[in-house]
Amino acid sequence: MASDETRLRGLFLKGLEGDEAAQRSFLLEASAALRGYFRNRLRTAPEDAEDLVQETIIAIHTKRHTYDAAQPLTAWLYAIARYRLIDHLRRQKRRGGPAIALDDAPEAALADPVHDNADARHDVAALLERLPEKQRTAIRLIKLEEKSVREAAVLTGWSESDLKVSAHRGVKALARMMAAEADR
Amino acid sequence: MKTEDLIALLTRNEGAAERAPAPWRWALAIGGGLLIGLVLIVTAIGMRPDIGAAMMPVMAKAAFAAAFAAATLPIVLRLARPGRPIGWRIGALGLLLAVAAIACVIALMGADPAERMRAWTGGGFPWCLVLVPVLATPTAAGLIWLVRGLAPTSLTQAGAAIGAAAGGVGAIAYAMYCPIDSVAFVTTWYSLAIGLCAALGAIFGARFLRW
Repeated sequence: MASDETRLRGLFLKGLEGDEAAQRSFLLEASAALRGYFRNRLRTAPEDAEDLVQETIIAIHTKRHTYDAAQPLTAWLYAIARYRLIDHLRRQKRRGGPAIALDDAPEAALADPVHDNADARHDVAALLERLPEKQRTAIRLIKLEEKSVREAAVLTGWSESDLKVSAHRGVKALARMMAAEADR
Repeated sequence: MKTEDLIALLTRNEGAAERAPAPWRWALAIGGGLLIGLVLIVTAIGMRPDIGAAMMPVMAKAAFAAAFAAATLPIVLRLARPGRPIGWRIGALGLLLAVAAIACVIALMGADPAERMRAWTGGGFPWCLVLVPVLATPTAAGLIWLVRGLAPTSLTQAGAAIGAAAGGVGAIAYAMYCPIDSVAFVTTWYSLAIGLCAALGAIFGARFLRW
């Protein structure tokens, strides 16, 4: 579906330049496609699918600078999704869970999107509590409480860039914690 | 947390994406790794005593080693990003290995039959198999650090490419010590030493590059 590629890529490129609404739309559409992708491949463990959707959403957001403008966006997106899936299956195998064969269904087109705003088993709120205080505060203020960065800077006395960097580091740490949590 | 809420959390007050590492960072990883290797040679291992008189073969060996780094670094850059096949880039490495093999055979055929074995094996333990991986380690560390900041999705392949590129850099430094100038020896054992670095990279790639 070439039109999906064009539209998604348009949103993504705007998001790269700092258009938050475009990035949000991109991630929402991507999450619907990823949900279809993971549910197709984890038929025997559908409850894992949403965990993987969220892990992959964080990965494609925090790693968006690794997209090469010369490649199709869907190729980039599904390479990351596939990486997260293989990582998941490997962890599961190490735990002695059932081995699930990875079929090689074509990934060139977007999977049929599934929009249902599902809940994952990851408890992000609990994971946030384990972050260092500064990162936690930065995420709470500018990510969860919908304050502007400027307001948060006035509240905390930290500089705006300091807050942004702390929130960014916190999100990355969150991604690592989600993967580690899935390990157990 | 619902996926929609996670997306809201991720994008709110986020601004523009971070930038991919600038070319100078890659140059720093390579140049810094080479410099550390050279310092190790001068301080711990010792340059070959006749390095002044043997400048020509030393430079030829360093150039051969540098060719490996030049042939494999584009593969590293490629594999550092998701969904980018290696493509024709592997051809440069294949070409280099083919040229090395041909040069080795020609050199051996031209050698005195009595000397042939010695020209090929160097008449002792090929220390490059140990020292090239050691000298490659600083470069490998720098490259791993940069590649991890991107998003490699084929960790074994990316690890092998990093190992080979770092091995090429390590072999440049090793050329300042290596006392054997026989073409057959260098084409064979430098290639094997760099291949060993690639194998080590493939083995440890998944551990160091996982994200």
